[in-house]
Amino acid sequence: MQTNLLCKETNAKSIKMSDEIDHPQLCLWLKAVSENRNKQAFTHLFNFFAPKIIRIARSKFPNEAQANEVVQETMSNVWRKAHLFNQDKGAATTWVYTVMRNVTFDMLRKVKANKEDNLSDDIWPIAEGLVSDDDAYEDHLETENLKAVIDNLPESQREVVKGFYFMEMTQEQLAEKLNLPLGTIKSRLRLALAKLKVKLGENHD
Amino acid sequence: MIKHHPTFELLQSFVNGDLPASLSAGIAIHADMCQECQRQISQLTDQIAEANFEFEANFLDRFIIDEEKDLDEIATIDFDDMIAGITASDEIEVLKEKEDKFISFNDTNYKLPDALHNMVLGKPAQIGKLSRSRIQLDEDEIHSSLLHIKPGGGVPEHTHKGFELTLLLDGSFEDEQGTYVKGDFIMLNSEHQHHPVSEHGCLCYTVANDALHFTKGINKLLNPIGSFIY
Repeated sequence: MQTNLLCKETNAKSIKMSDEIDHPQLCLWLKAVSENRNKQAFTHLFNFFAPKIIRIARSKFPNEAQANEVVQETMSNVWRKAHLFNQDKGAATTWVYTVMRNVTFDMLRKVKANKEDNLSDDIWPIAEGLVSDDDAYEDHLETENLKAVIDNLPESQREVVKGFYFMEMTQEQLAEKLNLPLGTIKSRLRLALAKLKVKLGENHD
Repeated sequence: MIKHHPTFELLQSFVNGDLPASLSAGIAIHADMCQECQRQISQLTDQIAEANFEFEANFLDRFIIDEEKDLDEIATIDFDDMIAGITASDEIEVLKEKEDKFISFNDTNYKLPDALHNMVLGKPAQIGKLSRSRIQLDEDEIHSSLLHIKPGGGVPEHTHKGFELTLLLDGSFEDEQGTYVKGDFIMLNSEHQHHPVSEHGCLCYTVANDALHFTKGINKLLNPIGSFIY
């Protein structure tokens, strides 16, 4: 009984509330964060957005820890990128939404495709004609990609590839260490390289 | 002039972040060349953002009976701790000018669309007048590629078991339905059968899935925002 009554009450109030997202206030807080690194203003923004972000994230991630990570990442980005918010271009809610959407997109890709390529900022650019200043990124990406492909090789081939390329052992040294005939090492390496080629795109399918 | 655009449902899913990276990139590239879709996307983003951040109030009304339990759930993270942690750092995001990237097919350099800048491209494979470079997105049954057709080349008549997106990045091609130009976003499904030919050559971004996952794939695409609003 009582719960029902409570529900009704919340209902009436919330309809009024939802018309009352105070857009100018949100803008002011974002401005204070960007111009003065104002922690009080950030706390207000946090209290407004974080509970909502958690609920949205829970609908996309089964795992509570992942939903919490979305909040952490999104709000960190709000703190670090507040100076990129341009109120002439749209509402604060729109901006925070895009930050959250991008974080979620990259995390879902990490969970589903096991890829940490953070493509969201290329698909939904944060600022026109500008990108994050992160020089090492590209090499890092290529290495990550190669590593992922190598990790998918059968164990017998993987150890040979890793020994030969990463630890720079000779084929003879590998044969000795793994206690295998040199011919076996050579054929495993050849098989592995053929697979890597296919995986890395030299296939003609 | 661009005549072929993503459907409204696709734009919606794009804004929601519900599409795979391959299709999201396709829509982003198209929108870069199409002001009308750009405008629709920014309008949709405003609306969806607003709906999302009003969502809590509606959500509470609909589902939460035991308010105390709900508060407990939220309390599994310590907000004060998180705020302190975030604001402890003074670092801000530093941006730099974006540098154009290029890809070469048949001795011609093409500017790589921004959305593809950090994707890993495979080495081009050649079949007759076609060259194809796979994009390594690891999206299971969905394959994305850059496809270059030399003048006079074409793709043999085929039907699509799943869906096939062709986005023209440069040049033009023709099929039974007419001529397609740079920026056209052509989404075909199993009902379509076609035989595209490129008289003057072209470069396309293509995304296709496979028959086994047809229902799943298509359903995903046509399913609009879903759980967000209800």
